[in-house]
Order: sequence, then C-alpha cells, then structure tokens
Amino acid sequence: MSLVDIRDVHKVYKRDSFDVPVLNGISVSVPKGDFLALMGPSGSGKTTLLNLIAGIDRPTRGKVIVGEKEISAFSETKLAAWRATNVGFIFQMYNLIPVLNAADNVELPLLLTKLSKKERREHLETALNVVGLADRMTYFPRQLSGGQEQRVAIARAIVTDPTIIVADEPTGDLDAKSAHEILDLLHRLNADFQKTIIMVTHDPKAAERANHVLQLDKGVLVESERRDSAGSHG
Amino acid sequence: MKFAKLIIRNLFRNKLRTFLTLSLMGAIFFFVATLLSILQNFETAANSGEGQNRLGVQSAISLANPLPLSYQAKIATIPGIAEIAKLQWVGAYYKERKNFFANFAVDHDKMASVWDDYAIPADQLEAFKADRRGAIVGPELAKRYGWKIGDRVTLIGQIFPFNPETTIRGIYKHKFDTSSFFFHFDYFYESTKDMTGSTVGTFWVRVKDPKDMARISQQIDDMFRNSEYPTETFTEKEFQQQFMAMIGNIKLLFTVVSICAIFMVVLLAAITMSMAARERVTEVAVLKAIGFSSGTILTLMLIEFVTLGLIGGALGTLGAKYVYQMVNMTEVTQGFLVAFGVDAKTIATCLVASIVVGFLAGGLPALRSARLSVVDGLRKVW
Repeated sequence: MSLVDIRDVHKVYKRDSFDVPVLNGISVSVPKGDFLALMGPSGSGKTTLLNLIAGIDRPTRGKVIVGEKEISAFSETKLAAWRATNVGFIFQMYNLIPVLNAADNVELPLLLTKLSKKERREHLETALNVVGLADRMTYFPRQLSGGQEQRVAIARAIVTDPTIIVADEPTGDLDAKSAHEILDLLHRLNADFQKTIIMVTHDPKAAERANHVLQLDKGVLVESERRDSAGSHG
Repeated sequence: MKFAKLIIRNLFRNKLRTFLTLSLMGAIFFFVATLLSILQNFETAANSGEGQNRLGVQSAISLANPLPLSYQAKIATIPGIAEIAKLQWVGAYYKERKNFFANFAVDHDKMASVWDDYAIPADQLEAFKADRRGAIVGPELAKRYGWKIGDRVTLIGQIFPFNPETTIRGIYKHKFDTSSFFFHFDYFYESTKDMTGSTVGTFWVRVKDPKDMARISQQIDDMFRNSEYPTETFTEKEFQQQFMAMIGNIKLLFTVVSICAIFMVVLLAAITMSMAARERVTEVAVLKAIGFSSGTILTLMLIEFVTLGLIGGALGTLGAKYVYQMVNMTEVTQGFLVAFGVDAKTIATCLVASIVVGFLAGGLPALRSARLSVVDGLRKVW
C-alpha cells in the first residue's frame, strides 16, 4: 500500500516573466517503510519533488496524496499543522537554531504539540538517545562537530514520530566518516523503526543505502530501481 | 510560556546590537520621561490644591500693565473677601545677573493670611513684619546663596531703578515654591513711587468660601470694566497657566518634541529589527517547515520586538526615575523644578509608548518573516 502517491504532477516556477517548468508529469508511489533515494543532475527537479512530498510547496498541476490525504489541496495553515505531525526534515546544512542547545533544538517541533513539559523532555531524551547524543544535550550547535549537528537535526526530525522523514543531501556537508555514520543512522531508522525516508542525494554511495532509487532528469522520471538488498554498510 | 526560551534567546542573540538598541531606546525614553515629568510637575503644581481659595487680579491689558493702588480698598468691599494684598514683581538679581530668582514686594502684614500655604515660623513672621527692610526667602534660595537669618542681602534692580537692601528675617516652607524672595511693599513703594506712581502689578485676594470664587472674580472685573484700568481676575491655577504661556506653549512644545523623539526611535528600532529578522530568514523557513504556522511566527517575533521596546522603555524611564531621586533637581534648576520626579503616570505612559514603539518598529519585519515562503527561505538552505 502506498504511503505517498504522486499523480501526474507538474511544477512551473515563475522567474520574472518566464515560466520555468521543473516537473513535467511525474507519477510516483512510495510504499510505507520505503527508503527512497531521489537522484539526478542539478536542476532535474528532485528537490522540488521532495518539497511537494513534504508539503512545503504545491504542484502547478496534479495531486500529492500522503496517507490518503490530498495535501496539495490543503490550506497554508492546515499544511503547517500537517507537517508538524507527519514530516521530519533533515537539511544539508543541519540548520539548527544557533541560540538553542541540542535539547532545545530537538524540542522545537514538540512545542507545537499539547505535550507537557515532562513529556516533551522524555520524547527529546529518547530521540537524542536514538542518535547517540544523550550526553550532548546541553551543547550548543557551535560546540558540536558537523556529524553531531546532523545527528541532532535527525533527532529533531524524529522526535514527533513523523510518518515520513525527508532529507535533502543529508551528507553533502560532511566528511566521509560522518557521512557514513549518518547514513547508518538513517538506515537504522528505516530498518528498526520502520520510518519512511525520502532522500535527495548526488552521492551514489548514499543512494546505495536506499532500497528504492528514482532517477530524474529535466523534470521527468527516467529510471526507477528497486533493490531488496540495501542496508548497512558498516 | 513554552516559547519563552526561544524568544529570550533570540532577543539576546546579537548582544552588541541588542545593547546598542537598548541604549538608544533607553536614552530616548529617559529624555521623553524627563519632558513629560516637567509637564507633569507644572500640572501638579497648578492642581495641587494650594491657593484654591485665592484670586489674582491683574490688568486686563497685560500682566506688565499696573493697576492703581486705590483698587485695593474698593475690591475689599466685595462681600466674601477675607483679605487682599498687593504683590509686585520686582525682577531684581543678586550680585550678578546670572543670580536671578523670583522676587516680590508684598504687603508684609497680609502675607501670612493671603498666602496661608506658606508656612513661616511665628517669631520669624513677627520679625519680618517689624523690620521695614525685612525679607522672607525660600529654603532652596537660602541654601543656594548660604543665607541665614540676620544676613543683609542687597538686590540689584533691573526693571526699577532701585536696589532693595534687605535683611533676611525668615525662611518659609512651601510644597512647590522653594526659591522666592519677599520683602515689604511699603519699602518698595517708598523708593519707586516717583517712577511707578500709585500703582502695583497685581492684587491677590483670599476668599472666605472657595464656592464664591467665580462670583467674586466676576464682581471684581465688573467693578472696573469701564474704568481706565480694567482688570482681569484669575484663579491661581489660571494665573500660573497664563504665566507659563508667556514663555511659550510649553506643553505643545514638549509634546511635539516627545513625539518626534519617539518617532525617531521607531525608525531606528525598525532598522535594527529588520536586520534581526533578515538574518534569520533561513531559521524562520526551517521553523515553518517543521510546522510553525505563519501566525505563530508573527506572534513570536512581535513578542520579541515588543519585549525589546519595553525593556528599552523601562530602562530609560526607570533610569530617569532613579536619577531624579538621586539628583536634587530643585538645586540644579535653581528652583525652577520643585519636588521633581518621574511619577507613576509618566512611567505608565512611557511604558505604553515603548510597547507601541516595539509594535510599530517590529510589525513590518515580523509580518515579512511570517509571510516568507518556506521554499524561498529554504532555497538558501536545501
């Protein structure tokens, strides 16, 4: 059963007076528990597709259905509320709030819930434990390495137990060792916690961890490869 | 509030900028609190209840035009008047022109009854009455020049060719007027009558019942309406306001200056707050991506900017209150400001103004952040 259903999606951006087509009739299904890698050259539309699935952008035409809900028809406010409970974001540059420590950064999505302070504390401790940074709770981003920052960002992404985790080049700013650790972590979230992960990457090694790879070029799907043997390369 | 930590941390994320912004706001609100307190000081003095049973009678033409001395006896015949006294502005100075203060020639035997809000020890009052060249001075004035009872003080006339040679016989106490100088009208008249004729600047009337103030005022003016020297009679409050008006519309001037200062701080704070919002574009986009609604972003940023304004306003206003508690403004202003301080009303006004400043200055940057497209904001991130 599909968790994400993209149906004939088109996306056109306006740049001054020009229309710039980015996605041209993409249709994709992502099953629950999938680890999908979106690959393709720059400008192929992979990040735009990720944005549409994550509910931070809307298609010009077509439908985006996640968990049987057509999120492409949601209002801005409804989309924000939907994202808060259904999507975890992992960014290339980590994008932690520099004035908050690790625990406070992880707690941010929980501030939008009705959880008590004690419950929020329990959730964030669990998330930081999963990423192996329970001992760095009080550290500020500037006091952490790039790999540690990204792990805090992953803890922030999973702390609300979202339906989907979206990641855009999560290892793009990391050294090889840290990248390896992050990919291991993502694989574990997928394998052990059955999280559906959709990841944009240029890196074939990163894509090897996914069990489903989509190749995009010039806004169209050019190849779809499903692997059954993807996994930890640790 | 669960967002408090985020707001506070953002508020002080750039400590130098926050310090400079707060310093600027604090300085301007210190200035505004000072201006408003000066106005409040005048209002308080005028509405203090002192002299509520007193009427001033002056020439209907202007305060500078004198009235005949003969009016005193005529006015005294009006029913309801308890006492009437002459009061002449002398306008002399002490030793040097810079040593200027309010000095008057007054009916020495009627001073205590007409100006019953001036407290003069009985023995000093008797000594003043008994000495034709006796003078009574305010405590601040005595302190400023080191005068003691028994000291001989000679003033130098400017308006009249007469240098009053007086002896300090008493030091009065008064709630607001702490720096005036009174001596005998008889002595003044004797020395200046060739020039002034039989005239005096003003008469002051104490009425028996304050309810009769309006009637008596009307009767006095009616009595001289068709004479060569028509009068205009005021309550003491009106008289003080008229006196203030002579040095310009202070209230309007101070209000306009205060508004200009606040407008200036709005513009400067708006620049600072725009910079603060601009450098957080990506953070705002991330917050929106993880589920913060536009309304939540707008609220958080407005609270942050309004808090900044409020802290700046509080620093300036409470700083002014503290400074004016520590500094004797009566001495600094040579008696111009008496019992000066920043009262609760002024503090409240400034704090409300500082909230408005935060709201106006931060409104646009906060709105722009709230309206930021997540994709546009993240374009710098992804």
